[in-house]
Amino acid sequence: MYMNEPCSTTNPIKNLHKFAMKTDTERAAQDEGPPPPPPPLFGDILELTLTRVPLVDLVSASQVSRSWKRAVSSSLRHLNPIRPWLLVHSQSTRTPYAISTRAFDPRSSVWLDISLPQPAKHASTLRSSSSSNLLFILSPSKLSFSSDPLHLTWRHAAPPLVWRADPIVALVGHRLVVAGGAFDFDDDPLAVETYDLRAGAWEACGSTMPALLKDSSASAWLSVTADEDKMYVTDKLSGVTHSYDPEADAWHGPYDLRPHRDVYCCVIGFASGRLILVGLLGCEENVKGVKAWEVERGTWRAREIGEMPPGMVRKMKGERFCASSMSACGAGDFVYLNRDSDPGTAVWCEVVGGGDCRWGRAESPAASGGRGPAERVVFTSSNVGMSELKQALATGDPRNVIRST
Amino acid sequence: MASSRKITLRSSDGESFEVEEAVAVESQTIKHMIEDDCADNAIPLPNVTSKILAKVIEYCKKHVDASKAEDRVNDEDLKAWDAAFIKVDQVDQATLFDLILAANYLNIKSLLDLTCQTVADMIKGNLFPVRNEWLNFTFSIANRELVLVCLTEWVAHRRLFCS
Repeated sequence: MYMNEPCSTTNPIKNLHKFAMKTDTERAAQDEGPPPPPPPLFGDILELTLTRVPLVDLVSASQVSRSWKRAVSSSLRHLNPIRPWLLVHSQSTRTPYAISTRAFDPRSSVWLDISLPQPAKHASTLRSSSSSNLLFILSPSKLSFSSDPLHLTWRHAAPPLVWRADPIVALVGHRLVVAGGAFDFDDDPLAVETYDLRAGAWEACGSTMPALLKDSSASAWLSVTADEDKMYVTDKLSGVTHSYDPEADAWHGPYDLRPHRDVYCCVIGFASGRLILVGLLGCEENVKGVKAWEVERGTWRAREIGEMPPGMVRKMKGERFCASSMSACGAGDFVYLNRDSDPGTAVWCEVVGGGDCRWGRAESPAASGGRGPAERVVFTSSNVGMSELKQALATGDPRNVIRST
Repeated sequence: MASSRKITLRSSDGESFEVEEAVAVESQTIKHMIEDDCADNAIPLPNVTSKILAKVIEYCKKHVDASKAEDRVNDEDLKAWDAAFIKVDQVDQATLFDLILAANYLNIKSLLDLTCQTVADMIKGNLFPVRNEWLNFTFSIANRELVLVCLTEWVAHRRLFCS
């Protein structure tokens, strides 16, 4: 195995010298006593124990030894797989508009505080698009966005040609689509632009946004999601949906997706490759139920796949669930249902098997779970895996980068 | 009065423990042995020492007694008892690991859950701080072998190059 490796071009004697230095420090360390051996757990018992260890700690567990590394990956693959995280980003509304992030890991039901690198100096509002886990900041001078699972890297681009406030933004394949939010008096309010990530340039699109979507501010009244090919925009109150294909530069719709009259708020997201619509029944002050439908994209018919258990719905009593503050974000098999005014609670619908679903709810233990008065909150969800965590932990002192709350 | 049969369990070091059937069948393994009629004489448990078997029996007895009582408050008391039961073993890690193996062999789900959770918490809290030491140690061995091989190759190629 070693014979195939290329020889070092530097003087091998220098390498030996480096090695000699290493043994010196090792010897110094060993003077304090030999390191304790890893616990004598092997095979299936080790894997069983590792199912109860949160993903964050599995990163260091996988570095104990080769057999532990194998046990970690086997445990993650067969016994307790990775499930998508919910990331809650709070932005202070005062300078320096710092963003703090909390995450919920449903695999182990833990809440974590994450210190992420801040995007370069900005004074504009952080927004998220539920499609493809996108976070973006739009300012007159630039558009900054991040779509990796833990938002460790930010890309900066020139702003769109038309100035927009609260537009529809979605990442569709390798294109960032921006539509709407423009002002009547100056520019064309129906203009659509796409930013090609590969080329790094904006393209104005021939097609115009449907007039129905013109006056809606995206973050309040529209639910946006996207898969690899198309962007879908749903009006939360009416359930009327349009889809946009950036490859063909064509809008389709409107489709009326509201399943029945009792649904006062619809939000959409992708889970398991299916377009899922989550609807709240009743009214804002008194939610009677929450249901999930799968929307077949050919026929645009909604098929009910599940309903939130009455016990969970009871916990929603006494609180206001305004359509303008509801949003959904989907990743993997999960669709998280979020409410701006309650960032400390995670509610999700997990699509299982052939279109059934399991509901879950978890509340953050910390007192700071509630939203401060001077904070804006946005949500994203993503499949955070071991490699993303390793990368995040390497950005600073591992104990401070990710902490349990 | 319901007849509570006594079952004899024999540990690996030959010690016998007599327990009520209700306590013994907390272990699915023993339960199946009884159902298959293998329990006329003592049930041999070659994988469990007497020290560990005593602790396992103590655990099972407590849980059987708790389930008999109908007081709901017992749930919290039981959890507190479990925490105290396992805390004693945190001092002696060897016993904890033996308990895990015994719970796995005897198929006692609640004890297995309890012990695995305890070890998981220890892994979480990094009470096995082996990360850097092990990685550096094993890496440097590979490094040395690699360097020695490279040196041999370099010497060999250098000869070829010179000639």
